[in-house]
Amino acid sequence: MKIFKSIKWRLQLWYGLILVLVLAGFGFTAYQLEWGRQMRRIDDELHRRVNLLAGALRPPPRRPAPDRPMPDGFPEERPKPFPPREFHLPPQAAELFDPNDPNDFYFVIDSRSGDELARSTNAPARETMWDRRKANTMPRLSADTFHPVSVQVLGKFRQMQETLPSGETIYVGCLATPALKELHLSALWLMVTGGIILFLGVSGGGWLVGRALRPIDNISNAAMKISAGDLSQRINTAETESELGRLAAVLNSTFARLETAFAQQRQFTADAAHELRTPVTVMLTQTQTALNRERNAAEYRETLEACQRASQRMRKLIESLLELARLDAGQETLKRSKFDLSQTARDCVELVRPLAVARGIKIHCDLQPVEAHGDAERLAQVITNLLANAVQYNKDNGEVRVSAKEQDSMILLAVSDTGPGISSEDLPHVFDRFYRADSSRSSGQTGLGLAISKAIVEAHGGTIEVASQPGTGTTFTVVLPAT
Amino acid sequence: MRILIVEDEPDLLRSLAQALREEGYAVDTANNGEDGLFNGESYDYDAIVLDVMLPGLDGWELLKRLRKTKKTPVLMLTARDQSRDRVRGLDTGADDYVVKPFDLSELFARLRALIRRSANQTTNVIEIGNVKIDTAARNVYRADKPVELTAREYALVEFLALHRGEVVTRTQLYEHLFDENDNTLSNLLDVHVSNVRKKLGGDFITTRRGHGYCIE
Repeated sequence: MKIFKSIKWRLQLWYGLILVLVLAGFGFTAYQLEWGRQMRRIDDELHRRVNLLAGALRPPPRRPAPDRPMPDGFPEERPKPFPPREFHLPPQAAELFDPNDPNDFYFVIDSRSGDELARSTNAPARETMWDRRKANTMPRLSADTFHPVSVQVLGKFRQMQETLPSGETIYVGCLATPALKELHLSALWLMVTGGIILFLGVSGGGWLVGRALRPIDNISNAAMKISAGDLSQRINTAETESELGRLAAVLNSTFARLETAFAQQRQFTADAAHELRTPVTVMLTQTQTALNRERNAAEYRETLEACQRASQRMRKLIESLLELARLDAGQETLKRSKFDLSQTARDCVELVRPLAVARGIKIHCDLQPVEAHGDAERLAQVITNLLANAVQYNKDNGEVRVSAKEQDSMILLAVSDTGPGISSEDLPHVFDRFYRADSSRSSGQTGLGLAISKAIVEAHGGTIEVASQPGTGTTFTVVLPAT
Repeated sequence: MRILIVEDEPDLLRSLAQALREEGYAVDTANNGEDGLFNGESYDYDAIVLDVMLPGLDGWELLKRLRKTKKTPVLMLTARDQSRDRVRGLDTGADDYVVKPFDLSELFARLRALIRRSANQTTNVIEIGNVKIDTAARNVYRADKPVELTAREYALVEFLALHRGEVVTRTQLYEHLFDENDNTLSNLLDVHVSNVRKKLGGDFITTRRGHGYCIE
């Protein structure tokens, strides 16, 4: 059942259940209290009448004692300690007993010997009035008497009986039905009130839960749209302070980062495709021109050479792209070892020197021995790339300085040139993929060199920075953690 | 027809120039924006093939500056095929757009269309008397029989036909039929004109003495 899986319905079910239990407990207690109160009220009335009747029981008129002694030999008749008494209903008691109303109080008085001394006309028949087996006797200690008083429920009657010290037993009872009716009425009221409270509680609770869960709906709607491919969706966070608001904010920032990452990826793919277009165009144009008519061997050779250059460029680009993809995916496992970075730098300088010599550029080295822990080949790639850039973007007969040193447990490697520098608007983008300060592609560079260098340095836990003074030169600084 | 190509990729520039020359166009080249702008402003080219990405002055900027003085039809070459870039190109004043990589045949067709449109010609067949010029196939027919013309001769006929009824000066003809590599001091033009007259009839091209040539 889907409805029971929903948090909203489960919550509502649970507190509905709890509310029912609480209301039932409350209602039951209230009913009990009310019942007790009603019964006590009846019992008080009964007791008042019992006391009154007890007070109305008078001893019989005193007879003078026989002055003549009993003849000897006869057992002397012992005077009874309590002579049988007579009963007269006092006038104030008569007000309390209406003999014509069967619903009113009744009384029965038994003498010590068990004979009926008096009874009100509305008293029920004796056999229904008193059935010891059926009677639910509840001993009750009266506040102003010391003799036992008991209360019984006889069918629809409630009856109190008291046996006086003199031996008479007084029964006073009344019909309990009106009190029970009243009780039932109040029970009905309790149930109706409870029902209303339950209804208000469940519907109000439903509203509250719906309100509380609305952000979740927002979140799931936004997440749904995002999973459908619309990454620009965000969760509407009106209340940012609540738990769900915070969750929404966290999700929103995740979505934003996802969107940026996707946009970067898309841009990267577009750029990569774009970079491949030019060499493909060269090859297409070259081959189509060559095939237009018969050519001599020299022309074919020229075409093939141009195609070769274009394919080399594509190969370089593809290798760079794959390298970046591997670095991005973290698959690029660095072959870490301990080595002297200054020696690596020296090797790189020798590699680049022919390029520099061709343009009359001098390379100055200030390389102190520094022990690095990392992938020597990859770091050599970084240094070569920086040096090649420093030569390529230098002026003729310029200078390139390369230095390595250890400082504050960090390895600092710097390559600076005396070229035209990088303008301040291009400077933040030099490590971006395919970014070229100069929009031409004739340089033969892929536009990925610095991006790859950055990825390699960062894979080593280091940083790469650039500082440039237009007109004076540019300095790239690689900072690596020392071993 | 004289065309300027502005392209920074040397291999592409060379093969484009070669292919267009073989199509009978006079071709000038520039490998950067500044030179391209200078050439574009100096001559009335029949069309300019302009790459967007150029060192120094890029294609957009070149076009913007060129449009201040010239209405030369411009065909942009670009590696970006997003409609945003196309819209920008066309709004800046480009007349057409070709996305790299392209087929040479498509580039040629677009260039022909561009040149035709700039001469207010709507079809690629021009009929003058009993002479029919198919500018797409670059063929000329006289009384429905094909006539063999050299590339230069065809270019002369096409240029005059596209400017039918106008007097075209010798300087104009030199400018549009020969590129900066040709030796324009020779009387090559007179030779071409007399050859065309032989092939298409003596009165096909009339000479306006002191002014130039004309096709009525």
